[in-house]
Amino acid sequence: MELIGYTCSYIPVELLSATGLQPYRLLHGNTDLSRQAEKYVRIDACPMVKSNISYILNNQDKFRALVGSTGCDMSRRMFDIIAETTDIPVYVLNNPRTDKPEIFNDEIDWLVKQLENLSGRKFRDDLITGEIEKWESEREFYRNLDKKRRAIPSLISTAAFHKSLMNCHQGDITNHIDIKDESSDKPRVYLVGSAITHESHPILEILEKDLRIVGDFNCGLSRFLNIHLTENNLNGIKSAYYNQPPCVYKRPNNKFYDFINNKLAELNCRGIIAWTLDYCDNYEFELKKIESAFNLPVLRIKSDFSFQNLNQLKTRISAFAEMLSK
Amino acid sequence: MNKTPRKHERNRESTKTNAYFFVSSKISCLRGNPFTETPKKIDLKEWSRQFQKLDTDFINQFYYYKNNDWGRYLFPPATFMVYGARQLKHLKFDNSLASLRLWGFSFNESERLFRAKQSNRKVIATMGDLGTVPIIVMAFPGCIPFYPDCTWWTPFFNESNVLLDRASEMGVPEASCFVRSALAAFDKKAYFPKPDLLFASTGASCDDYSCIMQMVENFGHNITWLEMPYRRHSAKYLVSDKYQTTNQGLEYPERFEDYLVTEYKKVWDKMAELTGINDIELLEQSIKKTNRLRRLIEKIKKLTYQAEIAPFPALEMMVIEFGNLYGYADIDEWLDICETVYETIQERVKKGIGVLKPDAIPIAWVMPTANPILLNLVEDLGGRVVATEYVINQALVEIEQNIEPFRALARSFLNASLIGSTEERVRRIKEKVEQGKVKGVIITNMLGASHCAMETKLIEQMLKDVPVLSIDVPAPLGITEQLKTRLSAFMETLK
Repeated sequence: MELIGYTCSYIPVELLSATGLQPYRLLHGNTDLSRQAEKYVRIDACPMVKSNISYILNNQDKFRALVGSTGCDMSRRMFDIIAETTDIPVYVLNNPRTDKPEIFNDEIDWLVKQLENLSGRKFRDDLITGEIEKWESEREFYRNLDKKRRAIPSLISTAAFHKSLMNCHQGDITNHIDIKDESSDKPRVYLVGSAITHESHPILEILEKDLRIVGDFNCGLSRFLNIHLTENNLNGIKSAYYNQPPCVYKRPNNKFYDFINNKLAELNCRGIIAWTLDYCDNYEFELKKIESAFNLPVLRIKSDFSFQNLNQLKTRISAFAEMLSK
Repeated sequence: MNKTPRKHERNRESTKTNAYFFVSSKISCLRGNPFTETPKKIDLKEWSRQFQKLDTDFINQFYYYKNNDWGRYLFPPATFMVYGARQLKHLKFDNSLASLRLWGFSFNESERLFRAKQSNRKVIATMGDLGTVPIIVMAFPGCIPFYPDCTWWTPFFNESNVLLDRASEMGVPEASCFVRSALAAFDKKAYFPKPDLLFASTGASCDDYSCIMQMVENFGHNITWLEMPYRRHSAKYLVSDKYQTTNQGLEYPERFEDYLVTEYKKVWDKMAELTGINDIELLEQSIKKTNRLRRLIEKIKKLTYQAEIAPFPALEMMVIEFGNLYGYADIDEWLDICETVYETIQERVKKGIGVLKPDAIPIAWVMPTANPILLNLVEDLGGRVVATEYVINQALVEIEQNIEPFRALARSFLNASLIGSTEERVRRIKEKVEQGKVKGVIITNMLGASHCAMETKLIEQMLKDVPVLSIDVPAPLGITEQLKTRLSAFMETLK
């Protein structure tokens, strides 16, 4: 099936899926892909954006269209490069940073018209309802898995959760991977920060050798589970996506902190892992506040997807875990 | 040329009865002033020597906020060096009276803002949009807009890492735009007074500054946030939106105007609440005045960039261009300074004289340089800036005067450099390359700045018909021999 790529948690997957194309979340991240894109962007671009550029360019024939948003600046500008170098239609919607639901709603209406035109389908109520039911059921499946992850003791690891989620993020929702329970008494931590990419599995495994990640606020993990539709129609989509726990780039971003604060208490976390990709301004600029806002120890991990400092990283994680265990 | 009526309109408070004679006297002084005969770039010492030729009465003519008691600003540049702008001893300046006023006025801004506060004016920080919100602020009598963003030059003029180091201590990554010095300036409380209101524009903006503005709020400042939409142009596969075109030929969905109108009305309401004034005619007057400035700067740029011999240096031209953002916090005086600049340039062009050699190589400059000395350096190496893309296109265009003022502001802002595609941003430079008017392009980047990272290589590709040199502006005092050699080699290739 042809793919429709997308980049942001605010883009309704139900609408992408209504085209008959397979929604594919662009969450690539490895050093090879990242380096390849340095033909088009500078070295100091976000390594995930660079990897996504290379992935798209290497797989142009698979993508029927791409949908982006004005979320973070580099992601938005990625579509300039794609538009200049390929013939893939790109749709970039204004995702307001400030509290402007009217702009978001207008832009979703605009997106519907573009996708109808792209697919030749009319997005009638029954089509939308069907897609909502399909994706809500998918989210419900992962919410149940997430419950196990959050349980005390935690029954599944985030590494396993991530492996299972990958199919969903890549639009293959018929294929659910079985996860065996793996109870853990390791220190419970919360993961927050830049996206966890499709290729980020090893870093989660390294972290969970000494820790158990029981919750997260990361694209590529469980953020999409926070989308709760209360109306099975387009208005329901607009409302659910707009009112999801806000991304850190929203201005002001106090609600982001409120959400995390509640989660930390609810999940009984003892520490925080702040995961940032190189040049990810939206999180890097917030690290100091993250360290002070929650009254919990924070381990900063910065990555360009390479594992050049693997041993040092393992030592830091072990030391952090040891500290939390005391 | 009869300029008297336009000058007369300034109607300085202190010279209400003899405005004509006052202005007339300034013109004659300009024409007969002792240091404009041979245009050249001079250093600080020479400026100090030259300054001694001016008598006190002459110096006392120039003051800000229409206050000739404490508002004088005509000092030799060495004064500002003593007060901290150490780089001035390495820079070269145009030797005209116009340049002296320009430097005196622009370096005096910090004092001016504190004076504004002391004299019960309202000081309003406008951040991020670079050029539109101040027009609303200036419509309110006694309200002074300024851009904390412009503190990004301070570490370089001061040859000091104090602000950048403080920003790092406050949590800003070192690999980010030098505009991080704005956050430290808020913290230090010594570069501008505490604003009475803060407006911060975000949305389709660079991430660095959006994050800085959030940090300003985190540190206790109350911000009114404004949304800037992404200017999405049409494409053959896009349907449904009705598109309009800006006066610069940039497409946008018509409804985006309404989004901005809502934001500008929000600014207006906040200002009305602060001041108790609510007279929309004042906004129309503010737009008219802004247009006067913008038209004048356009004329200055055109004359300077098209003249056979460069009549004015690139560094001063950058200061002039950025003055469009908010008239450096006293638009009346700034307008007068720019008129003096224009007259100086006109005179030089008429005489066929200038500050650079006739065979200086025409180049375009993309991204304003945080380190001003680079502009000097490139001119010393035989270059001449004839086109710029300083990310402030929105502040250079004329605003419509025959429509509802908020809509006019919205339409002008939709020309903004950073809210659209890279192709739109460099379209005008590309035209000049194609016309053979530009022989090379210099792009001055900042490591870690979001749009530099994403745009630079695309710009290099789009302007590939001429050599393009892309450099990272190093931190203050960081210009190495290697960087100088790169610039030198680049200029050599263009010869």
